[in-house]
Amino acid sequence: MLLRPRLEDHLVIGKYTGKIIIGVGLLMVVPLLTSVVLAEWDTVLDFVISVAACLIFGFSTQLLCRTERDLSWSHGMVVASGSWIVATVLGALPHWLSGHAGSYLDAMFDVMSGYTTTGLYLLQDLDHISHGLNMWRHLLTYAGGQGIVVVALTFLFKGAAGAYTAYVGEGKDERLLPNVIQTARAIWFVSLTWLAVGTAALAVTGMVLGQEPLRAVLHGLWVFMGAWSTGGFAPQSYNTLYYHSLGYELVTIVIMIAGSFNFALHWAVWTGNRKELLKNVETISFAVTLSFTVLIATFALAKAGVYPDAMALFRKVFYQLVSGHTTTGFSSIYVRAFVTQWGPIGLMATTMAMAIGASACSTGGGIKGIRMGVISKALLQDIRRAISPERAVITAKIHHIKDVALGDGVVRSAMLITIAYLSLYGLTAIVGTLHGYDFLQSAFEGVSAASNTGLSCGVTSPSMPSVMKVLYILAMWLGRLEFMSVFALGGHLLSMVRGRG
Amino acid sequence: MTSRSARVACALAALWLLALTAGCRAEGTPEPSPNDPSSVMLIEQPKKHDGTDVKFIGEVIGEVMRRGDMAWLHINDDPYYLMNVEEGAQLGGYNSGMAVWLDAELTQKIAYYGDYKHEGDVVEVAGVFNAACAEHGGDMDIHAKSLEMVRVGHVVVDPVHPWKIAWAIGLSLITAGVGALTRLSRDRPIDARR
Repeated sequence: MLLRPRLEDHLVIGKYTGKIIIGVGLLMVVPLLTSVVLAEWDTVLDFVISVAACLIFGFSTQLLCRTERDLSWSHGMVVASGSWIVATVLGALPHWLSGHAGSYLDAMFDVMSGYTTTGLYLLQDLDHISHGLNMWRHLLTYAGGQGIVVVALTFLFKGAAGAYTAYVGEGKDERLLPNVIQTARAIWFVSLTWLAVGTAALAVTGMVLGQEPLRAVLHGLWVFMGAWSTGGFAPQSYNTLYYHSLGYELVTIVIMIAGSFNFALHWAVWTGNRKELLKNVETISFAVTLSFTVLIATFALAKAGVYPDAMALFRKVFYQLVSGHTTTGFSSIYVRAFVTQWGPIGLMATTMAMAIGASACSTGGGIKGIRMGVISKALLQDIRRAISPERAVITAKIHHIKDVALGDGVVRSAMLITIAYLSLYGLTAIVGTLHGYDFLQSAFEGVSAASNTGLSCGVTSPSMPSVMKVLYILAMWLGRLEFMSVFALGGHLLSMVRGRG
Repeated sequence: MTSRSARVACALAALWLLALTAGCRAEGTPEPSPNDPSSVMLIEQPKKHDGTDVKFIGEVIGEVMRRGDMAWLHINDDPYYLMNVEEGAQLGGYNSGMAVWLDAELTQKIAYYGDYKHEGDVVEVAGVFNAACAEHGGDMDIHAKSLEMVRVGHVVVDPVHPWKIAWAIGLSLITAGVGALTRLSRDRPIDARR
């Protein structure tokens, strides 16, 4: 039986959603200052308007939704999923005001793509946008990678025990430290350290490649944010092809892979447990599935004779596949080259890599390496069971930070989420095909959106039907939050209509 | 919430969604590419054009990246190659262009590179198109032998819209007001307010 939410429920949800939106408003101060420093006055006004809109919303909720009640499990889930929607609506203001978005829906598409670290975009004339807006695009993806709830947890929540539910609702469930707020801060500590080192490495590489110091630093910062958050936004429309450099590609590969790893794994390595890198089920799963998809694409492209030599072939295949598998979306080939040069097998291999995706509790998306590991182990366990004597007790375990016994509950949960992802991939592919796009290309693009990758083969464009834009926004949102908190929000809305008082 | 008010809420949500898409900025006839084959054609039919001599006109964007005696340029032949969105060009889709590898000396003629504050020089390069360049790790590019200036670029004035100033002031005042009220209400016990 559904119970209609009481006023107190709305108040607690409103209060915490408002806090998160205040966090989004404060985040906008960074691009605002960027534009002030670089004298981009029209963009400055865009951000003043947007910051004000976020703060008005946030302060109003603090005023209207006063309560001392803490978040319950369902509240946390609703806050996590609902705040992403409100943050998308308000976060789209700078895009819309810039004049580079075809409609407000396009602006929201880009912002949801940023928060969810997808990387698909509909902004037009990207090569002429302001530094402030470029900073916002990349900051969105960097903050979204850690999770905007994590942002708020770190800076705005003070000791709320129920905050853990909002954190889990955002698709993260690892407690690196006993306290969830300490965990959020630990995630930021890891991310900011990588930010300093990664930006410096890319900026120096950029200068060596012939960029002026300011551009090299800004590009280094933005490309780092795109890589670490597995977002895939880049400051130029050419994406990472712009740099024409093996060195730049290597640095971004290291950052993409690091960004796609579980924060718990980062924390284990950080605290001295380096062997975890080699034993963890997710790193093993990643190595196996990446090798498999690289082999398929390499074989197909070698047979088609697309690239002039083995080095060029490996460089292109490895880069696009690492980018796809880590769900980053950086590309060192032209978007349409996936169709005109890579062909059906190349498209399929990349789609597989994107569908599997990165590690759980990372900045990445997709089904996740841990679920692939669990399902593979369960399959092997069942095969062993089938060929063993009836009385034999067959057990299996996976290693993720510690050894975990593979019980039915773990397998069931992994299968459920995997089926949800596969259904979403299927739905986006079918809707694309119904709108007249080639099935393989629709599947590629749909998987890219739902797994939060951002590689495109040309289906995503400002002229794409609005239905597909809305579907991709929903797919990015569902994929990033791993369904449960979105279902909780749906349940909350349903209980408002159908629930008993 | 009654089922009637739920229906009203659903209708409002649908209207809102419609408004989001209806708020499209007018897309007129975008500036066509001056090239045949254009960058779009080169990317769509790489095999057909591989190894052929091409002439390519477009706006130089970003920067020149020198690599010893040679350099990389990026030349866009998209709807914004004569006028960009900041100057008032109508939206015409994504940027599109080609990477060009050429003698660094040739790039000395270039005065403006396209970005937020500049409309870049429009140049014409002539050279060989490579669908997957052996010299550059399989990149799709043009190896240019010549570069001619077609039109010198210019600084783009960043116009501040008066309506944005009004909105910025208005919303900032409201923010200050709501912020002050929030601060005041924080000191009052919750029960006393209800």
